[in-house]
Amino acid sequence: MSRLEAKKPSLCNSEPLTSEGVRATLSVWRGIVSSCYGPSGRLKQLHNGLGGYVCTTSQSAALLRNLSVTHPIIKILVTSVQNHVSCFSDCGLFTAILCCNLIENVQKIVLTPTTVIKLNKHLLRLCTNYLNSEACGCRIPVDFHSARIPLCLVRSVLTSKPASMLTKEEVDHISALILRTFLLTIPENAEGHIILGKSIIVPLKGQRVTDSTVLPGILIEMPEVQLMKLLPIKKSGALKVALFCTTLSGDLSDTGKGTVVVPCGVSLESAVLDQLLNLGRQLVSDHVDLVLCQKVMHPSLKQLLSAHQVIAIDRIGVTLMEPLSKVTVQKIGTQPIGSLGSISTSSYGSVKNLRTAKFGSKHFFHLIPNEGTICSLLLCNRNDTAWDELKLTCQTALHVLQLTVKEPWVLLGGGCTETHLAAYIRHKTCNEPESILKDDAGCTQTELHLVAEAFCRALESLAVSLEHDGGEILTDMKYGHFWSVQAHSPSAVNWSDLLSRCGCGLYNSQEELSWSFLRSTRHPFAPQTCLPREAVGSSSTLTVDCLTAKLGGLQVAVETANLILDLSYVIEDKN
Amino acid sequence: VGRSMAAAGSVRAALQVAEVLETIVSCCVGPEGRQVLCTKPTGEVLLTRDGGRLLEALRLDHPIARMIVACVSSHLKKAGDGAKTFIIYLCHLLRGLNAVTDRDKDSLMSENIQTHRRHWKNCCQWKFISQTLITFQTQILDCIMDQYLSGHFLSIFSSVKERTLSRSSLEWLLEAYFCGRVGRNNQKFISQLMCDYFFKCMTYKSGINIFELVDDAFVELNVGVTGLPVSDSRIVAGLVLHRDFSVYCPADGDIRTVIVTETLQPLFSTSGSEFILNSEAQFQTSQFWIMERTESIMKYLHSQNVKLLLSSVKQADLVIYYARLSGISVVECLSSEEISLIQRISGLSPFVIPQGSSQCEISDTALVKFCKPLILRSKRYVHLGLISTCAFMPHCIVLCGPVQGLIEQHKGALHGAFKMLRQLFKDLDLNYMTQASDQNDASSPLIYKNSREGNQLEEHGNGSLQKPCPNTVVKNKNKLEKAQTYLKVISNVELEAYIPCSTVKLTPTNTFQRDQTPRCFSLEKDGIIDDCEPLIESNSTANSTTENTRVDISCENLEIAGKGNVLPMGCRLLDMCTSQSYCSSAMPAGCVLPVGGNFEILLHYYLLNYAKKCQQSEETVVSMIIANALLGIPKILYKSKKGNDSFPQVYRRALHALQTNQPMVSSQTGLESVTGKYQLLTSVLQCLTKILTIDLVINIKRQPQKVHDEDSEDEL
Repeated sequence: MSRLEAKKPSLCNSEPLTSEGVRATLSVWRGIVSSCYGPSGRLKQLHNGLGGYVCTTSQSAALLRNLSVTHPIIKILVTSVQNHVSCFSDCGLFTAILCCNLIENVQKIVLTPTTVIKLNKHLLRLCTNYLNSEACGCRIPVDFHSARIPLCLVRSVLTSKPASMLTKEEVDHISALILRTFLLTIPENAEGHIILGKSIIVPLKGQRVTDSTVLPGILIEMPEVQLMKLLPIKKSGALKVALFCTTLSGDLSDTGKGTVVVPCGVSLESAVLDQLLNLGRQLVSDHVDLVLCQKVMHPSLKQLLSAHQVIAIDRIGVTLMEPLSKVTVQKIGTQPIGSLGSISTSSYGSVKNLRTAKFGSKHFFHLIPNEGTICSLLLCNRNDTAWDELKLTCQTALHVLQLTVKEPWVLLGGGCTETHLAAYIRHKTCNEPESILKDDAGCTQTELHLVAEAFCRALESLAVSLEHDGGEILTDMKYGHFWSVQAHSPSAVNWSDLLSRCGCGLYNSQEELSWSFLRSTRHPFAPQTCLPREAVGSSSTLTVDCLTAKLGGLQVAVETANLILDLSYVIEDKN
Repeated sequence: VGRSMAAAGSVRAALQVAEVLETIVSCCVGPEGRQVLCTKPTGEVLLTRDGGRLLEALRLDHPIARMIVACVSSHLKKAGDGAKTFIIYLCHLLRGLNAVTDRDKDSLMSENIQTHRRHWKNCCQWKFISQTLITFQTQILDCIMDQYLSGHFLSIFSSVKERTLSRSSLEWLLEAYFCGRVGRNNQKFISQLMCDYFFKCMTYKSGINIFELVDDAFVELNVGVTGLPVSDSRIVAGLVLHRDFSVYCPADGDIRTVIVTETLQPLFSTSGSEFILNSEAQFQTSQFWIMERTESIMKYLHSQNVKLLLSSVKQADLVIYYARLSGISVVECLSSEEISLIQRISGLSPFVIPQGSSQCEISDTALVKFCKPLILRSKRYVHLGLISTCAFMPHCIVLCGPVQGLIEQHKGALHGAFKMLRQLFKDLDLNYMTQASDQNDASSPLIYKNSREGNQLEEHGNGSLQKPCPNTVVKNKNKLEKAQTYLKVISNVELEAYIPCSTVKLTPTNTFQRDQTPRCFSLEKDGIIDDCEPLIESNSTANSTTENTRVDISCENLEIAGKGNVLPMGCRLLDMCTSQSYCSSAMPAGCVLPVGGNFEILLHYYLLNYAKKCQQSEETVVSMIIANALLGIPKILYKSKKGNDSFPQVYRRALHALQTNQPMVSSQTGLESVTGKYQLLTSVLQCLTKILTIDLVINIKRQPQKVHDEDSEDEL
């Protein structure tokens, strides 16, 4: 009757946010994430003292996965950002920094958490409504007929992850490659409901980045010796393929719970092998050219097949099975074969061609499909850490493109959306506070102004986090965009000479604009809404962000901040 | 006994423990309550406002604390709500008891008695008090609930007989419930979600057993998705199974489905049997047979137009292969809970493999409207459009949130809400013993039939003047007119659930007609005023001969009122004699009261009245202590309010309204279950009795033997 029972009582802390320790932890944490943010963000090297793998990164996905945090409040923050990243891939640092900023700013004002949480929620609704509205002055429609905006989007993702260590030419090469990869996964002549295909990233480390390439179909890696054995491929043109998902190793199948009695001299193994060889003979007589098996194939069967010039490849693994069945499918309904019995001829698939390829030091079998939405992206980078970072970046970019297909809008990047949004909120809360408080009688306008100021400051200092080299941040009084000026510039000159383009690259400084420091207090002004189409057309390279990801990040950041502000106790189970 | 290991189980010690718990718990109470973050040793982080979870997370060490927690958790299992209130009540009760004994100590004890003896004597005294508590809980409480409070109850149903539920009253009830359970910025959203869910799942013919089904299978009826904002939570039609298809073959139209609970592929041997293979050829033949057999079963299913196979076990590769070939989708490894839920909804029983070649028609297939994969945050689920054969229309809740801890909180709150509703939809039996009723109504304890009469009789007791009949009638009319004008004035803001129940037997028809007017009002308004007291203050002929008539009239009132949005409850099964007897009565299902401490203040008021008339001093003391402890909750609820809404003001107004028989006006919208409150109070009293009866806590090295194991030990 002994039970395992927790013995130690828990540790209970009241009002966790007021404690000095928690505040310090939060600000250290904010320092870490905000120093990583943006194209000029600083890299972090993560390693443990015992040696082994070293990770150099500035991406939230890699950073948060490897960083271990102990304080429950930071834990909540980290998991919330991680969950966001696993949903949207992008805007993880954005979410983390905004959440920290909100918590820190709100603590400076003396209002009850209840009021703050309520007003934060109103302000969030204001933001999401604006970003989703036609009048929004910081979003651009995406037209996939032209590659310009999608390319800008991919390039923005690549440049914002400096740990991939790409030069300008390499960024151009990789962004074009990613866009091509994405286009290869879109089915031709699809109507209505589109199911995107799959791109498989094949690692190729130690090569130049510009050697990266994308191929339609599937690459199966294979040692050179084995490849030589299978050669030569005699036939050109379409090949008949048999794809097995069951084992061909000659194992006995499940015999049930009872006992099976086998007298001496009866060899079940040879019985099964007989069966396998029969199967092999059938494959040969059916003129199958290529046999692929998810699991292990018996050596005798392999030998039989190769003796008849049938190529046999086993141990494909379950991850490649789904794309393989898509590639080899001849007609809908053909599936991997799961039976050793007689196989109907309809179970066979086909590929257009099969060839061997050598990339770097690796040898591959390349299955070229008749048609299909499967492609392989051969990704090269100089070393392991940079490759890992590049792979993550490519996945992010591909995911962001998928999200953008679903919701074809992008937001202006480079800090412009944040400053513009802050200007919009300031203007709204000053001029139409009733519309924000309309369904809530419990809050006064003064309270709204205080919280809105904290909210806007949080957005602005998020934009400021993009600058890491001591430069000064300005904002113009017409569009509310983000302008940065280099450190140690002469102060008493004409701003329009010092500045060139705003953060997103949409406007240049030669327009008649007036600027002010972002940190200084300004009179609220109405930033220009409704982005004109011609404005988008004129400038060549824009920095843009995925709307879906950023909107999700904004919502999660505010919700998480509200959650943390609402805590009155932390109970830690110390067992 | 072990000197240092044994601690005196005194009220003082229990009070200390309860006070610590109270400070933690009271930060989460009510609409202004905040969140608590709990971490588990596994590293999980949980957000909660649920008192039960909170107490559990504290992992308390103190034996009395553990006992209290055990009592709370057994209460929660039943009622699904009220853990925080439990602690606050208990703390106030202990405080009251402690204060009383501090006062009495000098008079009871001579000064030179040894401390040891004093302790034992103390314990005897506690034993005595705890017996009084039991009597109170088992008899007096029920009596007061039935006779006084029931007059104030409202009903959640818009029609008592058919038990139909209107959306607005359910919304009020749920909003008040979620106020105490989820974070402030999600209360409204979650309560709307639950409301939508309930009405989507309910068919017109059904209702109540839905709560039971949902409560039982709650885990299967929701899916959590992290990383998305809470506002993305939604309700999807059909059932979402927490696993992916093993085989998915898209199919249109009506899809027939079967449930399988065993492997379809025959095996060489079953458990307990032996299979002898004599040659390779025999082995090959039997393998071939197995293959053929599997194929024929699958072909048979295919021929019966079955498109979906739901299996509780893992099926062999061969089965999967043939299913693919025959275009049958397969879902494997369903849990027994999922299988039983599907069976409950569709009335389907597992498919039995036809023996031999008997190709009989399978009777046990169910139709499914659709069956497709559902992808939530890159995780795949099976989405099943089951066609229901019972009153429950299957729907699932997809709960989104930035972190798992928050989703868990919402899940817990929703589950608790269904538990609460399940309790609310049950009748509650009240049993108590009436005391001897003398004809001498001015001095002795009386049988109070209901609150109205109670008040009248109280006036008798106070020797207030009795008005002659004719006067009364005139006065009634005036009052009624006044009441109706009052109604019109406030009609924009609040709903008047007001039916003036005249007990004047001379004018029954008049009363009947007057009843109609306010009822019409009650259909449209969107706020609540407490069920008002009858405005007719006196009945000059209050004696036993008229009682029957009165009862009849009050029943009539109920039937008339049976169509309003929120109804006053007046219905009691009256089974009484004038001499001492057992009385059993039932509180009908669906009794509610407005939130904001209404129940507590009402009970407080009637308990004080009762205490005044008690003859035995212990009863008086206990009633007073309980009455005062009840105010603990409203005190906390109104803590942050100022001015006219502060607790003393609210309390004063409520008492004044009760004394003058005017309606109690509640400033908050929202309803709460009376059953829940009643159960909570009884649980607290039981717990208190338990604490009081313990005189020594002895720490032992090994586990107590199972037979003597206290249930409190067991449940922690």
